[in-house]
Amino acid sequence: MPGTESKKQVGVRGQDLACAGLERQGWQVLERNWPRRLGEIDIVAWEVGESGLTLVFCEVKCRSGLCIEHPLEAITFAKMRTLRQLAASWMRVHHLKASAIRLDAIGVVLVPGQGPSLTHVGAVG
Amino acid sequence: MASACAWSVALVGLEGRIVEVEADIGAGLPRTLLVGLPDSALYQARDRCKAAVSNSGQEWPISLLTINLSPATLPKAGSHYDLAIVAAILAAQGTFRADELRRTVLLGELGLDGRVRPIRGVLPATLAAQQAGFTRMIVPLRQAGEAKLVAGIDVFGIASITQLVAFLQGEPMPVVDPIEVMGDPVSRHAKRCLDLADVVGQVEAKWACEVAAAGRHHMLFHGPPGVGKTMLAERVPGLLPDLVLHDALEVSAVHSLAGFNLADELITRPPYSDPHHSASVASIVGGGQRMARPGAISCAHKGVLFLDEAPEFQPAVIDALRTPLESGVITLGRSEVHARFPARFQLILAANPCPCGQAATPGAHCRCSPTVVRRYAEKISGPVRDRIDINQAFLPLRKTYLKKATLQRSESSTAVAIRVLEARDRQRRRLAGSGWQTNGEVSGTYLRRHLPLPDGLQAVDEAVDRGRLSARGVDKVLRLAWTVADLAGRDRPGRDELAVALAMRRGEQPGTVRREVG
Repeated sequence: MPGTESKKQVGVRGQDLACAGLERQGWQVLERNWPRRLGEIDIVAWEVGESGLTLVFCEVKCRSGLCIEHPLEAITFAKMRTLRQLAASWMRVHHLKASAIRLDAIGVVLVPGQGPSLTHVGAVG
Repeated sequence: MASACAWSVALVGLEGRIVEVEADIGAGLPRTLLVGLPDSALYQARDRCKAAVSNSGQEWPISLLTINLSPATLPKAGSHYDLAIVAAILAAQGTFRADELRRTVLLGELGLDGRVRPIRGVLPATLAAQQAGFTRMIVPLRQAGEAKLVAGIDVFGIASITQLVAFLQGEPMPVVDPIEVMGDPVSRHAKRCLDLADVVGQVEAKWACEVAAAGRHHMLFHGPPGVGKTMLAERVPGLLPDLVLHDALEVSAVHSLAGFNLADELITRPPYSDPHHSASVASIVGGGQRMARPGAISCAHKGVLFLDEAPEFQPAVIDALRTPLESGVITLGRSEVHARFPARFQLILAANPCPCGQAATPGAHCRCSPTVVRRYAEKISGPVRDRIDINQAFLPLRKTYLKKATLQRSESSTAVAIRVLEARDRQRRRLAGSGWQTNGEVSGTYLRRHLPLPDGLQAVDEAVDRGRLSARGVDKVLRLAWTVADLAGRDRPGRDELAVALAMRRGEQPGTVRREVG
């Protein structure tokens, strides 16, 4: 279906933009689209801060066009719970040690004729 | 991160309580929370406000937004908080200075396009704001006239969020087409020009109406169909004097709350309410699920409540009138609040003597059995009948009389209204300082202790001894006697006035007369 295809494309574009944005801030992206039966982790990245490294799991939501609903409002409580579980299983699989872990959300709004607008909300779950 | 507050009003009955609307923009995933006991219409304000703000070219905060309506324990209902909610959010965002909202009350429902729609109860809400010391009201443009009826507070009418923002930023307001509302509540109080002279004959009944109007007495009309019971009842409000300012404000406030558009002026004529006999208890005394709304008796406050075909009403409806008839207020208990509405109305009941309508009519043939006639009369219960001052029987007109009466015009409402006004003046002077204004309202104690008793009270005593008159009935007769004396220009009622009053009170009550004697 062309509709589904374009929806997927919007999602991919949103993630690309989000990754680019994170890398511009000096983040190191470790993994993208880590699929599991429960769902998918969109981005896993190291945040290089003043106090050290933080492992951040990011959920990216992207919307194209003008609509009243902000993409971040589509992230429900259930979605955050899934993301927490996914993060735990990612840690188990990768045997990675981190002193700090955080869950973030990034909303991307694509308006035709304008640059994309990114909203990054930290520590959401 | 940021917070701001705006003010609105919650109406509990006619009493307005100031509500503080706080908006807080905090960290977290974007969500809008609305707390402070909202009902469903108010809870949906989240969605309405969001669309309205976005469509007005303003930003809706992309973070955790908490809106609190305080006092949090008071249940709040209705859509009129929309404007205050939006103002608080925009102030928290820094669209205009939060100081601008100090001492200002905002009322209005929002359309999805950002236009401000009219609401119920602007007048009582404005009164409450003014009494609470607020200096400025922002209301829907169409209702600015209604709010301006309250003195001592600045009123600004706005038509849209764009205008609100411009106004609070101190800029000139852009012009917006005023909203056209379909099915807008229209003023029901178009001047009724019903003249008493239109009613042919029924001289005695007209005089009963004059007495009732002068002293605010309750009446029961009974007689066969087509003799002019309804016509006369409709003409009673025309005999009553204009409302004084305090009453006019109260009556207008009730009507505003009931959803009638006041069309920029106070209601100064006594209202008239004539609900159909299929009416429910809630529609008559007032009702509503969580928040109560005024019913027909409150819409007839300081005016006339006419129940045509009274025996056709559900008995429970008529009996629900008992308490307000005595107290002049109705208190409706709801799950969380008690609402009080004024209901000092003048009751007029009209009834046929039996289902076919011909019983006790000379020359007519009634087809109903005595049991049926009695049952029909009993539909108006004894306690309600006891609260009626004047029982007026109507007899059909003879053909020859009808011909004669059509030729000569009888007295007009204006002439009668002048006599009523004089009688009211006399009552007001006599009752000055007592808190009452008309004979119909004076308490029995005051009547017997502070006012001189008329001569010839034996007739009343006799009626009491025979069980024809209750203790309340004695007071009713005394009140009527005073009104008759006031209309005649006498200083105090005498033997004649008392006899007239007794006859008016007893009247002819088909179906119950026989039992009273026995």
